[in-house]
Amino acid sequence: MTDKNIPTIEGSMVRRGVLGLSAAATAIGGVAGAGLGLLAPRQAVAQEAGPSRLQTVLDRGYLIVGTGSTNPPWHFEDETGTLVGMDIDMARLLARGLFDDPEKVEFVLQGSDARIPSLITDKVDVICQWMTITPGRAQQCAFTVPYYREGVGLMLMADGKYQTFDQLKEAGSDLTVGAMQNVFIEDWAHKALPETKVDQFESPDATLQALNAGRVDAYLADQSAIRWLMAQNPGRFADSGYGWMPNSYASAVKQGDPTWLNWVNTVYREAMLGVDFDLFAASYKKWFGIDLETPKVGFPTEFS
Amino acid sequence: MERGTFLYEVWVARWSLLSGFGITVSSAVLTIIIASLLGMIFGIALTYGWRPLRWLIRLYVDMLRGIPVLVLILFAYYGLSLFKINVPPFWAGVIALGAFSTAHIAETIRGGIQSLPHGQTEAAKSIGLQFHQTLAYVIIPLATRRVLPPWMNTCAEIVKNTTLLSIIGVVEFLLSNQQAIARNYMVLQFYLFATGVYLLINFTISQFGAMLERRFAHLRY
Repeated sequence: MTDKNIPTIEGSMVRRGVLGLSAAATAIGGVAGAGLGLLAPRQAVAQEAGPSRLQTVLDRGYLIVGTGSTNPPWHFEDETGTLVGMDIDMARLLARGLFDDPEKVEFVLQGSDARIPSLITDKVDVICQWMTITPGRAQQCAFTVPYYREGVGLMLMADGKYQTFDQLKEAGSDLTVGAMQNVFIEDWAHKALPETKVDQFESPDATLQALNAGRVDAYLADQSAIRWLMAQNPGRFADSGYGWMPNSYASAVKQGDPTWLNWVNTVYREAMLGVDFDLFAASYKKWFGIDLETPKVGFPTEFS
Repeated sequence: MERGTFLYEVWVARWSLLSGFGITVSSAVLTIIIASLLGMIFGIALTYGWRPLRWLIRLYVDMLRGIPVLVLILFAYYGLSLFKINVPPFWAGVIALGAFSTAHIAETIRGGIQSLPHGQTEAAKSIGLQFHQTLAYVIIPLATRRVLPPWMNTCAEIVKNTTLLSIIGVVEFLLSNQQAIARNYMVLQFYLFATGVYLLINFTISQFGAMLERRFAHLRY
């Protein structure tokens, strides 16, 4: 972050490209909301005490989840046209907890930029969409406990000009790194490669296409995505071997409903450390190839 | 079909692609119908309407033509929710595209009517036609002939604008292709395929336009 300590949506509007849709979506939400006094970005959103969304969802009989459909291994369609991925598994865990039926979920597909507007406008109960926790976002929605620690890395063509991270560093300003649009992406890239040029693309596949076509020398992506891509295309890509920028993925709910937030948190925590651990571990194995260690019996380690 | 080939991947994604194609075509057709009907009414009102009404429609047309269609789509979906109006994404998209294209077509129709030689309406009056008859038998047919090309342009524009509905989660044809790409990474193939299909849709529209132009060809003056 160069010019702001707290990345607010307003700050991001200025620094987005033409295709930075969150700016537009949030501007609409923000302008209309501010006009109506519904959305005060820097204040806690006070709400009249009503029934919790937990009750609303139970009465409705199914859960409404905001997610995407084009980003493996998080949320994408498999060959049968079914939405699958780690985020989808988390949503199904919630449905299981609510209705004893992982199928009782309606997925609302949306772009990453729509995550906060969807919550604010009550279009969804919860977001399960690889959402990075940031202080700025936490002012606009309520984050659950994280269920994955992501970091960024650099993917190269296996037969490309550069093979190692050191070569990338030496290339200096001759280097072009491609990445999916993100408010912080320039800063992220420059943390690892201070002189590199950064080309931003509107989707992971557009970035990948640029790498394939040689328009960029490296693809700055989440390490989970790099692992997934390399597994899908053996021998085609290489990992530069360098990772940085830890960031936590969590779900988010609308602010002002502690009962609902607490319920979602409870389900997540017990999936990671308690009764639903087996399901959670199976998802980790399936989507990331990571074998989780069974939580130790005895003292709850999350408090140690 | 061999696994891993493009054709195989299209076959695997066939239902999703077909459904996306259906959503693209149905949203475009609905928008074209809404925008053409309303645009026709607004265009006539802009020319012959009662002054305050004309002024209102003028305001509407100028406003809508000045707003990017993407912003309208986002507003129809998210903005209206803030007023507790919850429209499903597909309809929010059709409403936004319809409102946008109505303004364009209204302006086209107004231009078409005003480009008619004044003698046409004079002649209609002189043979004793009422205003509504003049409109129905003289002005609309003659103006239609003139506005066909720009009207067809707007229709093609509408088809292209439906791709923006993916922003609000409508799985139209482009998004259904992107979903397939997310699975198999055949970026270039699927985008070329999508391009071809969009060209085909718009080629059909332009052929339809050419046919209409031939039908109205006798309306020269």
